[in-house]
Amino acid sequence: MQALPLRLARSSLRTAAPLVRARGIAATANASSTAASTSASQSVIPLSNVEAQWENLNHDDQLAVHQQLAELQKKDWKGLSIEEKKAAYYVAFGPHGPRKPISAPGDSLKILLAVVGAMAVAGAVSAGVKSMAPPPPRTLNKEWEQASNERAIEQKMDPISGIASEGYKGPTFVVSK
Amino acid sequence: MMRTQVLATLLRARPAAQRVAPVFTRPSSSAHGQETFESFNERYVQFFKDAEDLFEVQRGLNNCFAHDLVPAPSVIEAALRATRRVNDYATAVRIFEGISEKVENKQQYQQYLDELKGVRDELGINLREELYSSS
Repeated sequence: MQALPLRLARSSLRTAAPLVRARGIAATANASSTAASTSASQSVIPLSNVEAQWENLNHDDQLAVHQQLAELQKKDWKGLSIEEKKAAYYVAFGPHGPRKPISAPGDSLKILLAVVGAMAVAGAVSAGVKSMAPPPPRTLNKEWEQASNERAIEQKMDPISGIASEGYKGPTFVVSK
Repeated sequence: MMRTQVLATLLRARPAAQRVAPVFTRPSSSAHGQETFESFNERYVQFFKDAEDLFEVQRGLNNCFAHDLVPAPSVIEAALRATRRVNDYATAVRIFEGISEKVENKQQYQQYLDELKGVRDELGINLREELYSSS
């Protein structure tokens, strides 16, 4: 509930600055040639195709589209076509620039396959290394450890509190199952 | 002798308030002024009526959508009229997207849409869903 509007807020703030800046430039520097560039750009970039072309447009063309849309939006909004409305929305809040999604569609499947593949490789490496390993040492078995216990008691090892004391209940040499 | 006299005079001349034992408790930290929902809405309706450019409108939208509440329809309507005034159609569409993110469920969103149907039709604002489903 809290995180989503924050993202929205940030994204709309980011667009605010370039839009305002673009209009500022248009008002001061390009005042005389706005009409010419708008009409020229109309043939170059049809508004119905802005979504497909936007990423590839250079800065001047994007500015021209911005100006063209700013002029369009001054008209009655009921008179705008769906194409023009979509273009205006896309340029202001579409998934480009800072609002570009982090992952493309199909990425999660790729990530899943890569993780499963990496786990399989790791398992294969582990099994391979284990198959090449020498056998465990001959002292690591239950018989040897029980024999160690007997020998410790026989030698009276730690007779006060340890293994050779009376009624001893504690860890012994037996660790193997 | 002289010094003690001066000291005594000074002590007597101290303002009475300073002799009071210091208060070691601080006022309760919950003692802030709480803005009610009504005054919040009133404040933002006024804000959007006064907003003069797109930056100001978007700043106000960011602020009023940043609270743990959904602004009342009156605020939304004022914001929509503000976007009309600054000629930015995209922000008007974005406001409805913001509502759909803020409300708790689809019924609440639908209630907002029904409530704001008049101003939507008056200004010719389509929802994002309408824009992208019709093609």
